[in-house]
Order: sequence, then C-alpha cells, then structure tokens
Amino acid sequence: MRLALPLVVAVLAIAAAPAAAQSTDERLDQLEARIARLEDMNAIERLQKVYGYFVDEGQWTRLSELFAEDATLEIGGKGIFVGRARVLEYMQTAFGAEGAKDNVLAQHMQFQPIPDISPDGRIGWVRSRAFVMSNAGWGLPLYENEYRKGDDGVWRISRLSGPFTMYTSWEGWGKNALNNTWPDKFDPPPDLPPTTVYLTYPAYYIVPFHYPNPVTGKPFVPDTGQVGAYHRPPGTSEQAAAFEVGRLADGTQPIAEPPRDR
Amino acid sequence: MRGLALGLSLLAALAPMHAQAQSAEARLAAYAERVERLEDEDAIENLQATYGYYFDKGLWDAVADLFAEDGSFEYGQRGVYIGKQRIERALLLFGRLGLGPGRLNNHMQLQSVITIAPDGRTATARWQGMVMLSEPGANGVWGVGQYENAYVKERGIWKISKLHFYVQAMADYDLGFGRGALRLEGPSALFPPDRPPTEVYRAFPSGYTPPFSFVHPVTGEALPVTQPADDVARPK
Repeated sequence: MRLALPLVVAVLAIAAAPAAAQSTDERLDQLEARIARLEDMNAIERLQKVYGYFVDEGQWTRLSELFAEDATLEIGGKGIFVGRARVLEYMQTAFGAEGAKDNVLAQHMQFQPIPDISPDGRIGWVRSRAFVMSNAGWGLPLYENEYRKGDDGVWRISRLSGPFTMYTSWEGWGKNALNNTWPDKFDPPPDLPPTTVYLTYPAYYIVPFHYPNPVTGKPFVPDTGQVGAYHRPPGTSEQAAAFEVGRLADGTQPIAEPPRDR
Repeated sequence: MRGLALGLSLLAALAPMHAQAQSAEARLAAYAERVERLEDEDAIENLQATYGYYFDKGLWDAVADLFAEDGSFEYGQRGVYIGKQRIERALLLFGRLGLGPGRLNNHMQLQSVITIAPDGRTATARWQGMVMLSEPGANGVWGVGQYENAYVKERGIWKISKLHFYVQAMADYDLGFGRGALRLEGPSALFPPDRPPTEVYRAFPSGYTPPFSFVHPVTGEALPVTQPADDVARPK
C-alpha cells in the first residue's frame, strides 16, 4: 500500500513540471513514460484476464508460465505456494488434469481491475475480482496481485493473492455459505501458512488495498474493528463457530465438482 | 505468424529508447503509433460493449450496423450468417425487434483480450460472455460462453468482421448446471444459415475449449487446444 504513494507523487510531478523550462527531448522522454505506463497497465490487466481464461479451461501448464520463477500464489485460506513449479503442482493436484473436462464448469470471469505501475516501471499491481460460475455453485474471489517486468521486458505475475469473499453451492448464498479453505483441506500442502486468517461470507474480511483512495489520497489502514472477521486464529471459538456455517457433511468444500448432499 | 509479429512488435516497443540517437520527428512518429494502438484497443472495447448493450434489448438493426458489410455472425451451434442484411434477419430468431414483454436477454461482455495486427488494420479479441435470459411462462436461464471475434478498421472506424459466440453452458435458473443443463440450438429451419457451424461441439456437461486467438502473453507462443473426446463429434 505504501508502495503506491511514490507512484502518485511521480505522476503528479510529471503533470506539474513546467513545460517551457524543458528541452524537446525531456518532454519526449516524459511523453514516452506516460505511454509506457498505459501500455504496462494494459499488459498486467491482460495477464490477469488470461489467467482467468486458463483457469476456465484447465490450461495449468500455460497458467504456470504466466508466473515468475520465484512467484508466490495464495488462494482462499490454503496457504502460500512458492515458485512456478509449485503453482503448477497446486493446480494439477487440486483441480485435475490439463484441459477441458466433461462435467466440469469452472468459469472464473475476471473484471473490475485497478492497475497501477511503480514509478520505475518495473512493478505492477492489480486489484480485481472474479465471479465464479461453476457446476458446483457460485464464488467470489478477490485479487490483490503483484507483477514484475523481467530483464527481458516481459511482465509476469510475481504474487497472486486470491482471498475469498463468498462461496456457495447452487442453493445460493441466501441458503448456503461455504467456509474458507484451510491448509490441509485438500492436497497438495502449501509451503507456508496463510498470510492472514480470515472468514468468508457470512462474515467478511476487507482485503487491504494496494492503492490509496483516488480522491483523497488517503491510504486504507486495516484494523480489527474495520475489517470484520479479521485475525480469528484456528482453535478459537469464533473460528470453530464459522466452520459450522455451510459445512458439508464430510467437512469438505468441493471446488469445480458437482455439489454433494449434506 | 501472428504470434511472431506480435512478439516482434512487443520487442520493438520495449527496447530501450536511445533518445540522443533518434530525431524528435522519429520519436514523435513512434509514439503516435503507440498511442494509436491504445486508442484502437479502446475503440474495439467500446464496439463490443455496445454490441452487448444493443443485443440485450433486441435492437437488431443497431446490432447489424456494427458489422462490416461482409461481416459474419455465429451464435453457438446455429451456423454462420454472412452480410449485414442476413445478420439482421437472423437476429429475429432471438425474438422480435425490441425486447418483448417479460423478456430478459442479457449478454454481458467481459474480460477482453484484444490483439491488434501490426499494421493496425485488423484485430481479434476474446471475451467472456455471461448470459441471463427470461421469457414469459418459462423459468429463467443462466449461461456462459466465450466470444472469439475479429474486427476491421475501415476509414478510421472499427467494425465487427466476425462475431463468434461459443456458448459453453446454459442451465435452468433453479436447477443449475448440475441438474438442469440445456442443449444448444442447432441451425434454424426457418431461416437457414449461410454456412454450417464452424466447429461442432456440445455444451456442458460436455467439455469444450473455444480456441484461443491470442498468443501466450509471456512465452509468445500460439495456444493450440486438445479437446476432450466426443463419441459423435470427435470420435477417437
């Protein structure tokens, strides 16, 4: 979040510099930086949209190639996977073989992106969301991702963070809510524990914003009062209660599988 | 080919600029072209979003006007209609002109991945198409699919040269995909298409991946697809 502030300052500095005092080359340099920033924002948005299409179609190897060699991935409450190879292992182990499959619909429709680029043009961030329409039901992941431009000039995902807002069966969120995932819920196990322990709908967790309020410029500072069900560690009564909500009879939360009766 | 061309143009755009080695005129020309590509992408986004807004409301004449004169229209397994006039008439198969009472015909246009040809004259794009339908006396319908479209720039204006909506799944609102998946409609006997479907496939519960028009954004490689076997459509 702090990282975004220099970015705003840099953009303001470019806009405010008096044109008359500058040489043509300097003005052209600044023009190029502004064009490059627009292209870079498009490039990282595109990465996120292509990520979604690859999830839809089970293109796991191609999906893993969107990630930097040392990238991290954290989805739901599952914990952190470190490195491109583990991203691939996670996808193939948890969500099945490569390619489209009969009886599986898992559309991760991607929209509402807020892209930003660091002043030096090497790091990018996107906050965005997916609306999941699957044969098992509905889901709402949110993303706060980081992207890095390699020495080869190509953008890659360096950190994918996909905390869940809500998951439900086809009964709908008025009647059913699935609790968040956790590290040993399904294979493979993560490399590191979750960054944050939080609850999903009907509780809520506000994912910190990588950028400040676009009008006031004030950063969003999370605190336990503001962000809802935040920091309820395993073993507490609050978390135990949450596991009763929408839990299936066998305690599992199937993703991209037909719903099972309670 | 397209992948190679895109890769090269990306490399050209990303190569460090040596300001001193280039005249101001050359730099301005290069930047003007890059801005034009950004504007092209915006224009195509607006064009496709507008298609969605018109289609939602049964504004078939306005929809047809978005196409190039010899443009083509293909929806699911209904076959291909070619030319603006044929397209406008074929759209009446989706309902009368203007949305009838009690009808919902939402076709959301999301998640664009646009690829503009190096010469800036043509483009392709993939879109995510979420669908919500309703008509009097019938239960609501959920649907989803992807568009793989082509566009052409004529006298500075982008038009749809090919619209192809690969409907992937349709289902009864209450039963959902697990219990209430619906079959795709085939070619109309009332107003047959000019060509049969470009690709034959079944909707969910059969698996099918609409082919990708874009190249991999990191490796630059084309993305050929292996489809699941289908006893009838794709026997082993």
